[in-house]
Amino acid sequence: MMKQILLITDGGSNVGESPIVAAAQAYAEGITVNVAGVVDEGAIGEYGAAEIAEIARAGGGISQIVTSRQLSRTVQMMTRQTVAGTIRHAVNQELRQLFGVDNVGALAPPKRAEVVKVMEEMEETMSLSIALLIDASASMKPKLAAVEEAIRDLTLSLQARTGSSQVSVFHFPGDAQHAYCVMDAGWTSNASKIGSLFGRIRMRGTTPTGPALLQVVDFIRETCGRISKTEPMEPSTQTTRVESNGVRSDYVV
Amino acid sequence: MQHLPKGTEIRGKWNGKLYRLERLLGKGSNGQVYLATSGSRATYAIKLGHEATELQGEVNILASLDHSEKDRPPFLLDVDDVILQGVKVPFYVMKFVPGIPVKDYLQQQGSHWIGVVGYRLLERLTQLHEVGWVFGDIKSDNVLVNEYGRVELVDYGGASAIGRSVRQFTEIYDRGYWSAGSRMADPAYDLFAVAMLWLHALDSKRLIQLTKTMLPQNRHPRELIKLVRSNSRLQPVENWMEKALTGQFEHSREASQQWREAVRLSQKVKVPDDRVKGWMAGLLGGAIILSTSAVIIWLLQ
Repeated sequence: MMKQILLITDGGSNVGESPIVAAAQAYAEGITVNVAGVVDEGAIGEYGAAEIAEIARAGGGISQIVTSRQLSRTVQMMTRQTVAGTIRHAVNQELRQLFGVDNVGALAPPKRAEVVKVMEEMEETMSLSIALLIDASASMKPKLAAVEEAIRDLTLSLQARTGSSQVSVFHFPGDAQHAYCVMDAGWTSNASKIGSLFGRIRMRGTTPTGPALLQVVDFIRETCGRISKTEPMEPSTQTTRVESNGVRSDYVV
Repeated sequence: MQHLPKGTEIRGKWNGKLYRLERLLGKGSNGQVYLATSGSRATYAIKLGHEATELQGEVNILASLDHSEKDRPPFLLDVDDVILQGVKVPFYVMKFVPGIPVKDYLQQQGSHWIGVVGYRLLERLTQLHEVGWVFGDIKSDNVLVNEYGRVELVDYGGASAIGRSVRQFTEIYDRGYWSAGSRMADPAYDLFAVAMLWLHALDSKRLIQLTKTMLPQNRHPRELIKLVRSNSRLQPVENWMEKALTGQFEHSREASQQWREAVRLSQKVKVPDDRVKGWMAGLLGGAIILSTSAVIIWLLQ
């Protein structure tokens, strides 16, 4: 199973643990962290932009700064690229060990065709868990409608996949002193179950991105069993097909 | 990748074929398509990719489609790599498909061509669906029309096997975007996009306006049906559009036949003037009765 956290924010954190350290910790536990920065008017500020890029780098993911109109498309694209990228990375590593070639592109076209077929099969069938962590500090308020739409849109795409997928939604800061983030929806794979998410949020000023990230990592740990990068994929068909092509990857045991 | 100048030579590393680029045909998120010539005067479309895996994904689909549809000339003519300015660039070669986007075609030639164009498009999609594929990314730029309404689809690299998730789509043509169904590839997905194609081609201003002003949670096929019902040019295919937008066609063959019938019905010459109107007949009858009785009265006298 592949695990991702998608952080949607509009600026720098200002409370608690560094979000970069938190993202690095998530990655160490096998969770990729992607960041979408949403800015509608004005700039995100040098500090905010740099932090967004660095959280994603620490979390082994990608980041992009977009307007709220582009958010749906960006969230889709980042999720898809992360899945494809992870598989590609694993496959390239195997290719280096087995054939001494750098990457898929170095194979002759007929061989490449076979390897890519297997990779795409994995992309479509691998099970996927994505926790969305939404910055709900005061400045995000006008953008929350776009965030909800992006979540609905992502769920719709995930539902169409062959493999199982689930999403959960959190926002931060939480209401209480010690709750840095609040769960809005637990794991679900049904777009219609994610109703109006942020209707009752009380907007507050602080942005505890790091502590919120760590709380979501805890949640994933507790709900998704033991997290390891080398968990087996669905058994049966792929396994044999992958091996018949002489390409094994981290996802196939 | 930069725009490559006319005359750039592309020699494949594996197969050794030589192509000469003529002009850029289009740019996508994952590569550029050029018009090219090779040896004789034959023209081709060459797609140069940014990334080998992604491009290979498209090549695999084209190869599968060629395998599924053995009766037509193959889409995929060559697959290779070329070194351009020290960088290895993967590419594949297809036949060049001339034609202009369907929206422009209907604008230039008139919307009365929609019947033929639509029928040809639906027949092509029916073939594709019957061998287990969904085109997915139907939009004006991918539906090229040649002389006399001859339709060809381009960008088959985005096609999806029925039952899988739709590989490639464009927001305003997407069933999911309009809360009209899933993003799972089925024939009805394409038919929805075809209906959107006609709305976009014949009513683009109001459609774009709708996407800009409508709140996401209010997006619904009924809003699209409102547009259809208030557009006189779509009136002949109104019922067809409604069925396509609400996923009521199970098979594309059925959709294609109903399209043909709807268009045919609108072409029948309307003959209200030939028919004698009721009040005229009544008047005539009255006049006959009156004059006959007048004659009888006169004779009797």
